[in-house]
Amino acid sequence: MALDRKIAYINLTTGEIETKPIPISIRKKFLGGRGLDMYLMYNHIKPGIDPLGPDNVAFVSAGVLVGTLASATARTHIAGKSPLTGFVGSANMGGFFAPEMRWAGFDHLVIKGKAEKPVYLWIRNGEIEIRDAENIWGKTVTETQEIIREELDDRDIKILTIGPAGEKLVRFANVMTEIKNAGGRSGMGALLGSKNLKAIAVRGTMDLKIERPAEALEYNKRVITQVISAKVSQTQGRLGTPFIWGATNSWGGIRTRNFQANQFEYCDDIEPESIDEHAIGMAGCFGCQVHCRAKYIIPDGPYKGVYDEGPEYTAQGALTAEPGCKNLVNLLVGNHLLNMYGLDILETGSLIAWAMELYEKGILSDKDTDGLELRFGNDEALIEMIHRIARREGLGDILAEGGLRAAEKIGKGSIKYLIHVKGMSNLHSDERPTPALALGIATGSRGSDHLRSRPAIDLYGLPEPVLRRIYSQPVAYDGPISSHWRDYEGKPWEVRWQELCYEAVDCLGICKYHTIFLGPNFPNFEEWSRLLYYNTGLEMSPLDIWNVADRAYTMERLFNIREGLTRKDDWLVDRYFDEPTTRGVPAACGVTIDREKFAKMIDEYYEHHGWDENGVPHPETLKKLDIDKEPSHML
Amino acid sequence: MEQEKTSATTAEITAKGRTTGAVRCMNCMERIRPPLGAKTFKCPHCSFEWRISWPLPKFPRIRGPVWDVNRRLTEEAMSKKGKGKK
Repeated sequence: MALDRKIAYINLTTGEIETKPIPISIRKKFLGGRGLDMYLMYNHIKPGIDPLGPDNVAFVSAGVLVGTLASATARTHIAGKSPLTGFVGSANMGGFFAPEMRWAGFDHLVIKGKAEKPVYLWIRNGEIEIRDAENIWGKTVTETQEIIREELDDRDIKILTIGPAGEKLVRFANVMTEIKNAGGRSGMGALLGSKNLKAIAVRGTMDLKIERPAEALEYNKRVITQVISAKVSQTQGRLGTPFIWGATNSWGGIRTRNFQANQFEYCDDIEPESIDEHAIGMAGCFGCQVHCRAKYIIPDGPYKGVYDEGPEYTAQGALTAEPGCKNLVNLLVGNHLLNMYGLDILETGSLIAWAMELYEKGILSDKDTDGLELRFGNDEALIEMIHRIARREGLGDILAEGGLRAAEKIGKGSIKYLIHVKGMSNLHSDERPTPALALGIATGSRGSDHLRSRPAIDLYGLPEPVLRRIYSQPVAYDGPISSHWRDYEGKPWEVRWQELCYEAVDCLGICKYHTIFLGPNFPNFEEWSRLLYYNTGLEMSPLDIWNVADRAYTMERLFNIREGLTRKDDWLVDRYFDEPTTRGVPAACGVTIDREKFAKMIDEYYEHHGWDENGVPHPETLKKLDIDKEPSHML
Repeated sequence: MEQEKTSATTAEITAKGRTTGAVRCMNCMERIRPPLGAKTFKCPHCSFEWRISWPLPKFPRIRGPVWDVNRRLTEEAMSKKGKGKK
């Protein structure tokens, strides 16, 4: 059955490998993917360890529906203590790796210790081998995959790898697969690099037995109709995620020139329609009908003719508005380089934009930049800084340590200009006009996060009855609901609901674009209950799945508290409260986040979770979720 | 259980209210319907003007503001707001 895949414990120091089945009781509590990883993380990582030391543990997993007949079940999850923040490290990526890992017999890998020299893992139909990787150390993301496929003589092998940035322990290095599928945020690439683990190659031909195949197929057709009939999916399938840009930049929600404006004006050349002129088609991940990944060839300059994929909405902001660059070719080149190096695009672009503001304010000098004129709008400087960060050269070496460590090193009040939460940079969205989105980034378990709690549909002005219908299941909610994105009331519940919605998809292994993220009509708890039943036989109600998500999210909170997190970490930098926006539509212009109202939102958010005023889960909350005895060391 | 699994879900019910051929004005949030193929469209409710693109036939989306127009309108609104405060 689809639940018979195993967990493997791999010790890179000793070379020992052990495999175990996953008990159904644990499945029902955490399902798989991010949920079960959080259980494992809390149980296997000792408090206070160095995230780049051998005591950190890397977890690689597939969601419980991955590789089944359910759509868009492609997601791989990677976890560990974050080298960037010191809190929860967690990254999620699409592509084809996770389904192949399940077909090779495994749902979860627990990777401990540190190899003496570079190695990669070769996993094939239940067997795991640790192999020498000295010949691929230093290679880019795509070169690595090519060499391994050639070496093992199988073009169908799927590979998860780090690039040169992960090897150099850049604290925001990604784990990557294929060309641009990125397990970004929180530096999981650096974690693998610290273990001398260059890659994991998988190939599997072990069937996943679907519990009720005919019904699973039939029901999935209904889900596909639901997903592809959505306007969002159709637009995304045409323009990719950059389609979001049109709306957010129109009203004034784009963080520009680090944090100096909230709209990137007269930027027609980097709008999705302009990017689309260079696209040669769209690609999709395993089992997906949306196909949101653009394929392109760089049209000009030194990289002319090079193929890559994307750029995503994240790259669009990080490489244009934030550093103030309006050149399309530069965006495509920057995206390509970051993919090859295996660097987090969002973090890299944000930190370069921060450094540009420091340079323009005289905090960084020409001496600090080795003569590089690090001004906003300097396309060449942007590209040069990407190289320097990946190679840890000069100022790039300082930025490679992440914003907080870099600010400490640079000093001179530089921290005032850093846009982050918990040491992780914010997306290029400007949340000053939108309290709901601001609350989401402030409270995210892995740091500033637009992917783990964002109620993006809050921006659509949906009628209150529609919002109430969405947000009142699978648990009843009769508190305030507001249609306007400027309001504070009712938003903590939206954030809490989305948090568990996204946690649930990460446990199941489904892409976020197939749930209520960018559109209101997408599948969620009810549909997942049915998909789970038909594909795996697990009979879990929508409320049961909600409770799994709640349990897993609370485990993340427990992990963070154990690592020293307090209420003050669930907060925004002062600029959100002190510097009014200057652009956009009138409702978005001249506004800040109100400190007092924001603090009340946080109180309400904690109450919804069953946490006290310091953000610590009440004992009765832990008991209700059946995690009051953790760590229980069941796996 | 089977009955439960065949009935329309909340999301499917919500989808019945979906509109086509319209977009929301990014200023006043009213639904607006640009004429087929229009490259720009002024919101009849608030006068903000948008550049429109058509990713699919009969499928408009707001590409961005008509910069000079909307910037002027925002400045006028902010100026009034400032005067109101005094």
